[in-house]
Amino acid sequence: MSDLTRRELVKNSAMAAAGMTVIGAIAADVANADTGAAGSDPVVAYVSNPNTGEISLMHGEREVKLHDRKLARDIARAAR
Amino acid sequence: MSSHREAPSISKDPVADSTDLYAFVSPDDPNTVTIIANYLPGEAPFGGPNFYEFGDDVRYSINIDNDADGKPEIVYEFDFRTEVSNNATFLYNIGPITSLSSSAWIRKQFYSVTRVENGKRTLLGRDLACPPCNIGPGSTSNYASLASAAIHGLGGGHTVFAGQRLDPFYVDLGSIFDLGDLRPLNNVGPLKLAATHGLDSLSQMNVQSIALKVPKTALTKNRSNPSDVSKATSVIGVWTSASRQKSVIHAGNGSTTRTGPYVQVSRMGNPLVNEAVIPMALKDGWNADVPAGDAQYAKFVAHPELQSLLNVLYKGAFPNLAALASSGKPRADLEAVLLTGLPSGIVPGFQNNTGKTLADQLRLNMAVPPAKNPNAGGLAFGDAAGYPNGRRPADDVVTIVLRAVAGLLYPLIDKSYKVDAAVSLVSDGLGPQDSSYLPSFPYLGTPASGYDTQPLAA
Repeated sequence: MSDLTRRELVKNSAMAAAGMTVIGAIAADVANADTGAAGSDPVVAYVSNPNTGEISLMHGEREVKLHDRKLARDIARAAR
Repeated sequence: MSSHREAPSISKDPVADSTDLYAFVSPDDPNTVTIIANYLPGEAPFGGPNFYEFGDDVRYSINIDNDADGKPEIVYEFDFRTEVSNNATFLYNIGPITSLSSSAWIRKQFYSVTRVENGKRTLLGRDLACPPCNIGPGSTSNYASLASAAIHGLGGGHTVFAGQRLDPFYVDLGSIFDLGDLRPLNNVGPLKLAATHGLDSLSQMNVQSIALKVPKTALTKNRSNPSDVSKATSVIGVWTSASRQKSVIHAGNGSTTRTGPYVQVSRMGNPLVNEAVIPMALKDGWNADVPAGDAQYAKFVAHPELQSLLNVLYKGAFPNLAALASSGKPRADLEAVLLTGLPSGIVPGFQNNTGKTLADQLRLNMAVPPAKNPNAGGLAFGDAAGYPNGRRPADDVVTIVLRAVAGLLYPLIDKSYKVDAAVSLVSDGLGPQDSSYLPSFPYLGTPASGYDTQPLAA
């Protein structure tokens, strides 16, 4: 992940989720983790199809799905 | 097999592969029901140095439907963890294992049991010890006492055991999957050989068992202790499932990171459904589905491939079955046994019907008392305490299901149908072995020991 850092991904994910009023507890956890307020458990982001903009964030036993085409394409671009 | 390695994907994931499910009124404790979910098929007893164990990364579930909707109202979850007490040895044990806390036993497994009912989670027990595998007289000389120590009492009147057992299932796989050459029918089958008894492909093989004894009052919707066979509330539907977390990352250093919700990768209700009814291309999807969605698979029960195969393999032996198959009539008898349970009025004094929802579940009418003299043929042979009223470890489900597919039960819904004479011969030629069972919980026999088991080629 060279062009898009994990910090940027987490920040963008949380912002996108909040902007679409679908923010879940997981995104809050992730944001807190980034500021040191919570643990350091891993987060997995899964983009099944960049064109649909669906991003799954998995943390612990939970999963939150975001819909952000720009972010999904940014992730895909960074992964190439 | 019953459900051993029954689908392409799960055959490559043994620790999550459900092999058999049993549910029966406990014969020595009839106010309770015992449910046994077996996993990890075909354990060769000499499995060292990495002896068999449950998957720490698998969530095992026993699901109970007590309101006939095909969905679980009660779920028992089992989560395992493994402890390695010595990082300097390659051995499972470095001396005789004399107790479950023995320091000579290097790799121990523990588990928790959680009951989930209507979203409310109740931890029934944690840090519960599994027994070791049965290695042999040098390591596990008094295996019965080790296994007995691994029977744990839990809250709410539950009793649990999780560990290795002798596989109670028996089947002649060599004949069945060699184009259905059932040995007792060899003289009329495709091979035209002398008829013989079957060969048990699972003889001396072990499984990992999760056995749970539950008060009946903890299973019924209205918390009653069922005594009336005719009441709908006396019937529960049971199935087991195994789930894995959605994401796994292999770090490249031997470690893995798993995240995300658990998703189902294996399930089992009735024996042989995913094995011998569901087409291969759909088996992996079936394993991921829930019983409430089984209407999509009902056509494979109503028009089973196996009924047509019998007529091809044993040409002329099943003329009435051939006529039934070619008529295109749905097999309402099989739909009742496998997908809805038998309604009242079919078998006098018995029902285990759960309504119109088509769902593959093991249906148990808990008001039927245990049989004093069990018949492995179950309900079809007058023993209403046996399959398909739940399933006991010794029930001969291969013969029962084969004969059912061959038309044995069709007269229950069409009295004019005449069962072919050859149906009484349909069997893989095996029966239960007394040594495979215990008279009390956990009911399954002591696993075959690694030292004492003779390899097949020897």
